[in-house]
Amino acid sequence: MKLRSMIAALLVLSFTPTVLYAMEQSVGWHRREDTTALPITVFHSTQSANLPTAQTIFKGEWQFEISHRFQPPFSAGSDALWGLDGPIYNRLGLSYGVTDRVMMSVLRSNLEDNLELGAKWRFREGHLKGLPYQLAVMGGLASNTSVGPSYGPGYRNREAQSYAQFILDALLADRLALGVVTSYLNNAQIADTRTLNEVTVGLNAQLYLARMFSVFTEWNASKSYEGLRHDALTFGLEIETGGHFFKLMASNSERPNPTQFLGGTPIAFTPHQWRFGFNLTRILRF
Amino acid sequence: MQLKRMNSAALVLILLLRLTPALAREYDVNLQAKRDVRFRSTTDVNEFEGVTDHIDGYVLLPDTAPPLGEDAKDSELHFEVELASLDTGIGLRNRHMRDNYLQVEKYPYAVFSGTVAHVESASGDTLQVTAKGEMQIHGKKKQMSIPCTVSPEDSGYRVHGAFTVLLSDFDISIPKIMFLQLDNEIHLEVDFAVEPIKD
Repeated sequence: MKLRSMIAALLVLSFTPTVLYAMEQSVGWHRREDTTALPITVFHSTQSANLPTAQTIFKGEWQFEISHRFQPPFSAGSDALWGLDGPIYNRLGLSYGVTDRVMMSVLRSNLEDNLELGAKWRFREGHLKGLPYQLAVMGGLASNTSVGPSYGPGYRNREAQSYAQFILDALLADRLALGVVTSYLNNAQIADTRTLNEVTVGLNAQLYLARMFSVFTEWNASKSYEGLRHDALTFGLEIETGGHFFKLMASNSERPNPTQFLGGTPIAFTPHQWRFGFNLTRILRF
Repeated sequence: MQLKRMNSAALVLILLLRLTPALAREYDVNLQAKRDVRFRSTTDVNEFEGVTDHIDGYVLLPDTAPPLGEDAKDSELHFEVELASLDTGIGLRNRHMRDNYLQVEKYPYAVFSGTVAHVESASGDTLQVTAKGEMQIHGKKKQMSIPCTVSPEDSGYRVHGAFTVLLSDFDISIPKIMFLQLDNEIHLEVDFAVEPIKD
Protein backbone atom coordinates (compact mmCIF):
# COMPACT_ATOMS: atom_id res chain seq x y z
CA MET A 1 0.00 0.00 0.00
CA LYS A 2 2.86 2.26 0.93
CA LEU A 3 4.65 1.47 -2.31
CA ARG A 4 1.49 2.12 -4.32
CA SER A 5 1.09 5.51 -2.66
CA MET A 6 4.69 6.37 -3.43
CA ILE A 7 4.26 5.38 -7.07
CA ALA A 8 1.06 7.42 -7.33
CA ALA A 9 2.81 10.42 -5.79
CA LEU A 10 5.76 10.05 -8.16
CA LEU A 11 3.42 9.76 -11.13
CA VAL A 12 1.75 13.00 -10.14
CA LEU A 13 5.15 14.57 -9.62
CA SER A 14 6.35 13.26 -12.94
CA PHE A 15 3.72 15.31 -14.73
CA THR A 16 4.66 18.50 -12.92
CA PRO A 17 7.86 19.26 -14.84
CA THR A 18 6.12 18.39 -18.09
CA VAL A 19 3.51 20.99 -17.34
CA LEU A 20 6.19 23.45 -16.25
CA TYR A 21 8.15 22.65 -19.39
CA ALA A 22 5.09 23.28 -21.50
CA MET A 23 4.59 26.57 -19.70
CA GLU A 24 8.21 27.50 -20.27
CA GLN A 25 7.86 26.71 -23.98
CA SER A 26 4.87 28.99 -24.39
CA VAL A 27 6.15 32.23 -25.85
CA GLY A 28 5.87 35.36 -23.77
CA TRP A 29 6.64 37.71 -26.67
CA HIS A 30 3.95 39.94 -28.11
CA ARG A 31 4.05 43.01 -30.34
CA ARG A 32 5.21 45.91 -28.22
CA GLU A 33 5.25 48.86 -30.63
CA ASP A 34 2.43 50.82 -32.21
CA THR A 35 2.17 50.63 -35.96
CA THR A 36 3.41 53.62 -37.93
CA ALA A 37 0.66 56.08 -38.83
CA LEU A 38 0.47 56.50 -42.59
CA PRO A 39 0.57 60.14 -43.72
CA ILE A 40 -2.57 61.50 -45.37
CA THR A 41 -2.12 62.19 -49.07
CA VAL A 42 -4.71 63.88 -51.28
CA PHE A 43 -2.87 65.23 -54.34
CA HIS A 44 0.42 63.40 -54.85
CA SER A 45 2.41 66.39 -56.08
CA THR A 46 2.88 69.89 -54.74
CA GLN A 47 1.05 71.58 -57.60
CA SER A 48 -1.48 70.81 -60.25
CA ALA A 49 -0.53 72.42 -63.58
CA ASN A 50 -0.24 75.90 -62.04
CA LEU A 51 -2.46 75.90 -58.97
CA PRO A 52 -0.78 74.74 -55.78
CA THR A 53 -1.99 71.72 -53.83
CA ALA A 54 -1.74 71.42 -50.06
CA GLN A 55 0.93 68.73 -50.40
CA THR A 56 4.49 69.66 -49.44
CA ILE A 57 7.82 67.98 -49.85
CA PHE A 58 9.32 66.65 -46.62
CA LYS A 59 12.11 67.93 -44.41
CA GLY A 60 15.49 67.92 -46.11
CA GLU A 61 14.12 67.18 -49.57
CA TRP A 62 14.89 69.29 -52.64
CA GLN A 63 12.55 69.62 -55.58
CA PHE A 64 13.82 70.78 -58.96
CA GLU A 65 11.37 71.91 -61.60
CA ILE A 66 11.57 72.74 -65.25
CA SER A 67 8.37 73.73 -67.00
CA HIS A 68 7.68 74.91 -70.53
CA ARG A 69 4.66 76.67 -72.01
CA PHE A 70 4.82 76.63 -75.78
CA GLN A 71 3.57 79.85 -77.34
CA PRO A 72 2.28 78.64 -80.72
CA PRO A 73 -0.98 76.67 -80.38
CA PHE A 74 -1.49 73.09 -81.54
CA SER A 75 -3.50 74.60 -84.38
CA ALA A 76 -0.31 76.10 -85.87
CA GLY A 77 0.00 72.68 -87.49
CA SER A 78 2.96 70.74 -88.81
CA ASP A 79 4.83 73.87 -89.96
CA ALA A 80 5.26 74.83 -86.30
CA LEU A 81 5.41 71.17 -85.22
CA TRP A 82 2.05 71.73 -83.53
CA GLY A 83 3.59 74.39 -81.34
CA LEU A 84 6.69 72.49 -80.30
CA ASP A 85 8.94 74.70 -82.46
CA GLY A 86 8.41 77.38 -79.85
CA PRO A 87 9.22 79.94 -78.70
CA ILE A 88 8.47 79.00 -75.12
CA TYR A 89 7.99 80.52 -71.73
CA ASN A 90 10.22 78.69 -69.33
CA ARG A 91 10.02 78.30 -65.60
CA LEU A 92 12.81 76.97 -63.41
CA GLY A 93 12.11 76.18 -59.78
CA LEU A 94 13.95 75.01 -56.73
CA SER A 95 12.17 74.12 -53.49
CA TYR A 96 13.41 72.92 -50.14
CA GLY A 97 11.56 71.15 -47.33
CA VAL A 98 12.32 73.18 -44.21
CA THR A 99 10.17 70.85 -42.12
CA ASP A 100 7.78 68.05 -43.03
CA ARG A 101 5.12 70.77 -43.38
CA VAL A 102 6.92 73.87 -44.64
CA MET A 103 8.60 74.28 -47.99
CA MET A 104 10.27 77.31 -49.54
CA SER A 105 10.70 77.93 -53.23
CA VAL A 106 12.57 80.11 -55.69
CA LEU A 107 10.91 80.32 -59.10
CA ARG A 108 12.12 82.09 -62.18
CA SER A 109 10.15 82.63 -65.36
CA ASN A 110 11.55 84.21 -68.52
CA LEU A 111 8.22 86.01 -69.01
CA GLU A 112 9.07 89.50 -67.77
CA ASP A 113 11.97 87.86 -65.93
CA ASN A 114 9.67 87.13 -63.01
CA LEU A 115 11.61 86.01 -59.97
CA GLU A 116 9.58 84.77 -57.03
CA LEU A 117 10.30 83.74 -53.46
CA GLY A 118 7.47 81.68 -52.02
CA ALA A 119 6.58 79.51 -49.05
CA LYS A 120 3.88 76.95 -48.29
CA TRP A 121 2.72 75.68 -44.91
CA ARG A 122 0.58 72.56 -44.73
CA PHE A 123 -0.94 73.22 -41.36
CA ARG A 124 -3.61 70.59 -41.01
CA GLU A 125 -4.83 67.28 -42.33
CA GLY A 126 -7.23 64.65 -41.16
CA HIS A 127 -10.47 62.90 -41.94
CA LEU A 128 -13.82 64.63 -42.03
CA LYS A 129 -16.62 62.06 -42.01
CA GLY A 130 -14.15 59.60 -43.44
CA LEU A 131 -12.95 62.01 -46.13
CA PRO A 132 -9.17 62.67 -46.11
CA TYR A 133 -8.39 66.38 -46.33
CA GLN A 134 -5.41 68.74 -46.18
CA LEU A 135 -5.24 72.48 -45.54
CA ALA A 136 -2.38 74.79 -46.43
CA VAL A 137 -1.52 78.43 -46.86
CA MET A 138 0.95 79.75 -49.37
CA GLY A 139 2.38 83.12 -50.28
CA GLY A 140 5.05 84.73 -52.35
CA LEU A 141 6.80 87.93 -53.41
CA ALA A 142 7.78 88.43 -57.02
CA SER A 143 9.83 90.95 -58.94
CA ASN A 144 9.45 91.41 -62.68
CA THR A 145 12.95 92.55 -63.42
CA SER A 146 12.50 93.18 -67.13
CA VAL A 147 9.75 95.76 -66.62
CA GLY A 148 10.95 98.94 -68.33
CA PRO A 149 9.79 102.28 -69.77
CA SER A 150 7.56 100.56 -72.32
CA TYR A 151 5.23 99.73 -69.39
CA GLY A 152 4.34 103.43 -69.04
CA PRO A 153 4.88 106.06 -66.37
CA GLY A 154 5.65 104.86 -62.87
CA TYR A 155 6.72 101.43 -64.14
CA ARG A 156 9.39 101.17 -61.45
CA ASN A 157 6.67 101.05 -58.79
CA ARG A 158 4.85 98.22 -60.56
CA GLU A 159 7.51 95.61 -60.99
CA ALA A 160 6.77 94.02 -57.62
CA GLN A 161 3.85 91.64 -57.06
CA SER A 162 2.72 89.47 -54.17
CA TYR A 163 0.06 86.89 -53.43
CA ALA A 164 -1.42 84.83 -50.61
CA GLN A 165 -3.44 81.62 -50.95
CA PHE A 166 -5.61 79.34 -48.88
CA ILE A 167 -5.73 75.76 -50.12
CA LEU A 168 -8.30 73.10 -49.26
CA ASP A 169 -7.91 69.62 -50.75
CA ALA A 170 -10.02 66.51 -50.21
CA LEU A 171 -9.95 62.97 -51.55
CA LEU A 172 -13.05 61.10 -52.70
CA ALA A 173 -13.18 57.33 -53.03
CA ASP A 174 -9.36 57.07 -52.73
CA ARG A 175 -9.01 58.19 -56.36
CA LEU A 176 -10.47 61.61 -57.01
CA ALA A 177 -8.60 64.55 -55.50
CA LEU A 178 -10.41 67.88 -55.43
CA GLY A 179 -8.97 71.25 -54.54
CA VAL A 180 -10.14 74.81 -53.95
CA VAL A 181 -7.54 77.58 -53.97
CA THR A 182 -8.58 81.07 -52.89
CA SER A 183 -5.93 83.63 -53.81
CA TYR A 184 -5.32 87.29 -53.13
CA LEU A 185 -3.13 88.85 -55.80
CA ASN A 186 -1.50 92.24 -55.41
CA ASN A 187 -0.70 94.18 -58.60
CA ALA A 188 -2.38 91.67 -60.88
CA GLN A 189 -1.59 93.47 -64.14
CA ILE A 190 1.80 95.14 -64.13
CA ALA A 191 1.11 96.66 -67.56
CA ASP A 192 -1.71 98.74 -66.04
CA THR A 193 -0.75 102.08 -64.57
CA ARG A 194 -3.12 101.44 -61.65
CA THR A 195 -2.28 98.91 -58.95
CA LEU A 196 -4.94 96.26 -59.36
CA ASN A 197 -5.59 93.85 -56.54
CA GLU A 198 -7.98 90.95 -56.79
CA VAL A 199 -9.27 87.78 -55.24
CA THR A 200 -9.37 84.72 -57.48
CA VAL A 201 -10.85 81.29 -56.94
CA GLY A 202 -9.25 78.21 -58.45
CA LEU A 203 -10.65 74.71 -58.70
CA ASN A 204 -8.59 71.66 -59.52
CA ALA A 205 -9.30 67.97 -59.78
CA GLN A 206 -7.16 64.92 -60.38
CA LEU A 207 -8.31 61.38 -61.03
CA TYR A 208 -5.75 58.71 -60.12
CA LEU A 209 -6.36 55.96 -62.65
CA ALA A 210 -3.44 53.62 -61.89
CA ARG A 211 -0.24 53.40 -59.84
CA MET A 212 1.55 55.89 -62.04
CA PHE A 213 -1.08 57.54 -64.22
CA SER A 214 -3.63 60.22 -63.52
CA VAL A 215 -5.50 62.93 -65.37
CA PHE A 216 -6.03 66.43 -64.04
CA THR A 217 -7.78 69.68 -64.78
CA GLU A 218 -7.78 73.14 -63.24
CA TRP A 219 -9.62 76.41 -63.67
CA ASN A 220 -8.79 79.74 -62.07
CA ALA A 221 -11.55 82.36 -62.11
CA SER A 222 -10.08 85.87 -62.19
CA LYS A 223 -11.19 89.40 -63.00
CA SER A 224 -11.03 90.51 -66.60
CA TYR A 225 -8.44 93.22 -67.31
CA GLU A 226 -7.11 94.75 -70.47
CA GLY A 227 -4.53 92.22 -71.67
CA LEU A 228 -5.75 89.51 -69.26
CA ARG A 229 -9.32 89.01 -70.38
CA HIS A 230 -9.78 85.29 -69.79
CA ASP A 231 -9.71 82.69 -67.02
CA ALA A 232 -6.96 80.10 -67.25
CA LEU A 233 -8.09 76.51 -67.94
CA THR A 234 -5.81 73.53 -68.23
CA PHE A 235 -6.19 69.76 -68.55
CA GLY A 236 -3.57 67.07 -68.81
CA LEU A 237 -1.98 63.77 -67.92
CA GLU A 238 0.41 63.06 -65.06
CA ILE A 239 2.97 60.27 -64.83
CA GLU A 240 4.69 59.75 -61.50
CA THR A 241 7.56 57.59 -60.34
CA GLY A 242 9.13 57.34 -56.89
CA GLY A 243 10.88 60.68 -57.45
CA HIS A 244 9.46 62.37 -60.57
CA PHE A 245 6.28 63.95 -61.80
CA PHE A 246 5.78 64.44 -65.53
CA LYS A 247 2.77 66.58 -66.39
CA LEU A 248 1.75 66.99 -70.00
CA MET A 249 -1.01 69.49 -70.62
CA ALA A 250 -3.11 71.61 -72.92
CA SER A 251 -3.96 75.11 -71.74
CA ASN A 252 -4.98 78.60 -72.76
CA SER A 253 -2.42 80.00 -70.31
CA GLU A 254 1.24 80.38 -71.11
CA ARG A 255 2.04 82.42 -68.00
CA PRO A 256 4.12 80.15 -65.74
CA ASN A 257 4.72 81.81 -62.36
CA PRO A 258 1.93 82.24 -59.76
CA THR A 259 1.67 86.05 -59.94
CA GLN A 260 1.45 85.76 -63.73
CA PHE A 261 -0.96 82.84 -63.92
CA LEU A 262 -3.39 84.03 -61.24
CA GLY A 263 -4.20 87.31 -63.02
CA GLY A 264 -5.64 85.51 -66.04
CA THR A 265 -4.61 85.06 -69.65
CA PRO A 266 -5.05 87.01 -72.89
CA ILE A 267 -5.95 83.77 -74.71
CA ALA A 268 -9.49 82.39 -74.94
CA PHE A 269 -10.14 78.75 -74.05
CA THR A 270 -11.12 77.54 -77.48
CA PRO A 271 -9.59 74.39 -78.97
CA HIS A 272 -7.68 76.18 -81.71
CA GLN A 273 -6.01 78.28 -79.00
CA TRP A 274 -4.86 75.40 -76.83
CA ARG A 275 -1.15 75.30 -76.23
CA PHE A 276 1.05 72.44 -75.16
CA GLY A 277 2.96 72.63 -71.92
CA PHE A 278 4.77 70.37 -69.50
CA ASN A 279 6.04 70.38 -65.93
CA LEU A 280 8.87 68.10 -64.90
CA THR A 281 9.80 67.84 -61.24
CA ARG A 282 12.39 65.72 -59.51
CA ILE A 283 12.64 65.22 -55.75
CA LEU A 284 16.08 64.53 -54.32
CA ARG A 285 17.84 64.37 -51.00
CA PHE A 286 21.55 65.09 -50.66
CA MET B 1 10.14 -9.01 -4.76
CA GLN B 2 8.97 -8.81 -8.35
CA LEU B 3 6.65 -5.92 -7.49
CA LYS B 4 9.54 -4.09 -5.85
CA ARG B 5 11.68 -4.54 -8.99
CA MET B 6 8.84 -3.20 -11.15
CA ASN B 7 8.44 -0.22 -8.88
CA SER B 8 12.15 0.54 -9.08
CA ALA B 9 12.02 0.45 -12.91
CA ALA B 10 9.03 2.77 -12.91
CA LEU B 11 10.90 5.15 -10.63
CA VAL B 12 13.90 5.22 -12.98
CA LEU B 13 11.60 5.76 -15.98
CA ILE B 14 9.83 8.60 -14.27
CA LEU B 15 13.12 10.24 -13.32
CA LEU B 16 14.32 9.86 -16.92
CA LEU B 17 11.11 11.41 -18.17
CA ARG B 18 11.67 14.27 -15.80
CA LEU B 19 15.16 14.88 -17.10
CA THR B 20 14.45 14.39 -20.83
CA PRO B 21 12.97 17.70 -21.87
CA ALA B 22 15.71 20.30 -22.42
CA LEU B 23 14.39 23.55 -20.99
CA ALA B 24 14.32 26.42 -23.49
CA ARG B 25 14.96 30.06 -22.79
CA GLU B 26 13.19 32.91 -24.56
CA TYR B 27 15.15 35.87 -25.86
CA ASP B 28 13.21 38.87 -27.14
CA VAL B 29 14.50 41.68 -29.34
CA ASN B 30 15.93 44.38 -27.10
CA LEU B 31 13.93 47.48 -28.05
CA GLN B 32 16.33 49.75 -26.16
CA ALA B 33 19.41 48.57 -28.03
CA LYS B 34 20.33 49.62 -31.57
CA ARG B 35 18.10 47.97 -34.20
CA ASP B 36 18.45 48.31 -37.92
CA VAL B 37 16.85 46.74 -40.94
CA ARG B 38 18.27 48.06 -44.19
CA PHE B 39 17.46 47.24 -47.79
CA ARG B 40 19.33 48.35 -50.85
CA SER B 41 18.27 48.40 -54.49
CA THR B 42 20.94 48.93 -57.12
CA THR B 43 20.34 49.47 -60.83
CA ASP B 44 22.45 51.00 -63.58
CA VAL B 45 20.85 54.40 -63.11
CA ASN B 46 19.74 54.46 -59.51
CA GLU B 47 20.68 53.17 -56.10
CA PHE B 48 18.77 53.76 -52.93
CA GLU B 49 18.44 52.42 -49.45
CA GLY B 50 15.55 52.06 -47.06
CA VAL B 51 15.89 51.73 -43.31
CA THR B 52 13.75 51.08 -40.26
CA ASP B 53 14.32 50.19 -36.64
CA HIS B 54 10.92 48.55 -36.27
CA ILE B 55 12.06 44.95 -35.92
CA ASP B 56 10.73 42.84 -33.08
CA GLY B 57 10.41 39.16 -32.26
CA TYR B 58 11.86 36.34 -30.21
CA VAL B 59 14.03 33.27 -30.29
CA LEU B 60 13.63 30.21 -28.06
CA LEU B 61 16.98 28.54 -27.41
CA PRO B 62 17.69 25.34 -25.49
CA ASP B 63 19.47 26.01 -22.23
CA THR B 64 22.14 23.58 -23.34
CA ALA B 65 23.96 24.90 -26.35
CA PRO B 66 24.19 22.38 -29.20
CA PRO B 67 27.63 21.09 -30.13
CA LEU B 68 29.23 23.26 -32.78
CA GLY B 69 28.50 22.09 -36.28
CA GLU B 70 25.19 20.57 -35.28
CA ASP B 71 21.63 21.71 -35.49
CA ALA B 72 20.06 23.49 -32.53
CA LYS B 73 17.10 21.20 -32.02
CA ASP B 74 14.15 22.56 -30.07
CA SER B 75 14.93 26.13 -31.13
CA GLU B 76 12.30 28.44 -32.50
CA LEU B 77 12.47 31.96 -33.84
CA HIS B 78 10.05 34.57 -35.09
CA PHE B 79 10.89 38.08 -36.24
CA GLU B 80 8.72 40.81 -37.74
CA VAL B 81 9.55 44.06 -39.51
CA GLU B 82 6.86 46.72 -39.68
CA LEU B 83 6.99 47.81 -43.30
CA ALA B 84 5.14 51.14 -43.05
CA SER B 85 8.09 52.45 -41.04
CA LEU B 86 10.62 51.94 -43.87
CA ASP B 87 12.19 55.24 -44.86
CA THR B 88 14.01 55.67 -48.17
CA GLY B 89 14.78 59.34 -47.56
CA ILE B 90 12.18 60.65 -50.04
CA GLY B 91 8.55 60.92 -48.95
CA LEU B 92 7.20 60.32 -52.45
CA ARG B 93 9.27 57.15 -52.83
CA ASN B 94 8.12 55.97 -49.40
CA ARG B 95 4.51 56.36 -50.46
CA HIS B 96 5.13 54.49 -53.70
CA MET B 97 6.82 51.70 -51.81
CA ARG B 98 4.08 51.47 -49.19
CA ASP B 99 1.09 51.80 -51.50
CA ASN B 100 2.19 50.39 -54.83
CA TYR B 101 4.67 47.65 -54.05
CA LEU B 102 4.45 46.39 -50.47
CA GLN B 103 0.76 47.28 -50.00
CA VAL B 104 1.35 47.76 -46.30
CA GLU B 105 -2.27 48.41 -45.39
CA LYS B 106 -3.00 44.83 -46.45
CA TYR B 107 0.35 43.26 -45.51
CA PRO B 108 1.83 45.38 -42.71
CA TYR B 109 4.65 43.02 -41.63
CA ALA B 110 7.49 41.08 -43.19
CA VAL B 111 7.76 37.94 -41.06
CA PHE B 112 10.47 35.30 -40.73
CA SER B 113 9.65 32.20 -38.65
CA GLY B 114 11.84 29.15 -38.32
CA THR B 115 14.60 27.50 -36.34
CA VAL B 116 18.28 27.83 -35.69
CA ALA B 117 19.52 25.27 -38.18
CA HIS B 118 23.27 25.30 -37.85
CA VAL B 119 25.83 26.77 -35.47
CA GLU B 120 29.54 27.11 -36.14
CA SER B 121 32.33 28.97 -34.49
CA ALA B 122 33.47 32.09 -36.31
CA SER B 123 36.11 34.23 -34.64
CA GLY B 124 36.57 34.72 -30.89
CA ASP B 125 33.25 34.28 -29.17
CA THR B 126 31.29 35.03 -32.33
CA LEU B 127 29.20 32.26 -33.83
CA GLN B 128 28.16 31.76 -37.41
CA VAL B 129 24.53 30.74 -37.32
CA THR B 130 22.17 29.71 -40.08
CA ALA B 131 18.47 30.29 -39.52
CA LYS B 132 16.09 28.28 -41.65
CA GLY B 133 12.45 29.02 -42.04
CA GLU B 134 9.68 30.73 -43.88
CA MET B 135 9.82 34.34 -45.03
CA GLN B 136 6.48 36.01 -45.56
CA ILE B 137 6.26 39.32 -47.43
CA HIS B 138 3.32 40.77 -49.34
CA GLY B 139 1.21 37.76 -48.35
CA LYS B 140 3.57 35.30 -50.09
CA LYS B 141 5.74 32.70 -48.35
CA LYS B 142 9.13 31.35 -49.26
CA GLN B 143 11.51 28.94 -47.53
CA MET B 144 14.83 30.63 -46.87
CA SER B 145 18.16 30.12 -45.11
CA ILE B 146 19.62 33.25 -43.56
CA PRO B 147 23.25 33.35 -42.45
CA CYS B 148 23.93 35.43 -39.34
CA THR B 149 26.75 36.21 -37.00
CA VAL B 150 25.84 36.07 -33.33
CA SER B 151 28.03 37.56 -30.62
CA PRO B 152 27.45 38.00 -26.90
CA GLU B 153 26.14 41.42 -25.82
CA ASP B 154 25.21 42.17 -22.23
CA SER B 155 23.12 39.25 -21.04
CA GLY B 156 22.00 38.33 -24.57
CA TYR B 157 23.32 38.37 -28.08
CA ARG B 158 23.76 40.73 -31.01
CA VAL B 159 22.61 39.33 -34.34
CA HIS B 160 23.77 40.53 -37.73
CA GLY B 161 22.50 39.01 -40.96
CA ALA B 162 22.84 39.82 -44.66
CA PHE B 163 20.90 38.15 -47.44
CA THR B 164 19.07 38.74 -50.68
CA VAL B 165 15.43 38.47 -51.65
CA LEU B 166 13.82 38.58 -55.07
CA LEU B 167 10.74 40.78 -55.32
CA SER B 168 9.34 38.34 -57.89
CA ASP B 169 9.38 35.57 -55.23
CA PHE B 170 6.90 37.60 -53.24
CA ASP B 171 4.67 38.59 -56.12
CA ILE B 172 5.76 42.23 -55.94
CA SER B 173 5.45 43.51 -59.46
CA ILE B 174 7.48 46.43 -60.74
CA PRO B 175 6.05 48.43 -63.64
CA LYS B 176 8.32 48.20 -66.69
CA ILE B 177 9.05 51.91 -66.58
CA MET B 178 10.35 51.41 -63.03
CA PHE B 179 12.85 48.68 -63.96
CA LEU B 180 15.43 51.41 -64.43
CA GLN B 181 14.96 52.54 -60.85
CA LEU B 182 14.14 49.42 -58.83
CA ASP B 183 15.95 46.11 -59.02
CA ASN B 184 14.21 42.76 -58.61
CA GLU B 185 17.09 41.69 -56.35
CA ILE B 186 16.99 43.47 -53.02
CA HIS B 187 19.89 43.23 -50.55
CA LEU B 188 18.83 43.12 -46.93
CA GLU B 189 20.80 43.59 -43.74
CA VAL B 190 19.49 43.15 -40.23
CA ASP B 191 21.22 44.10 -37.02
CA PHE B 192 19.64 43.84 -33.59
CA ALA B 193 20.15 42.52 -30.08
CA VAL B 194 18.15 39.92 -28.17
CA GLU B 195 18.01 39.65 -24.42
CA PRO B 196 16.61 36.93 -22.15
CA ILE B 197 13.15 37.72 -20.92
CA LYS B 198 12.92 38.39 -17.23
CA ASP B 199 11.43 35.52 -15.23
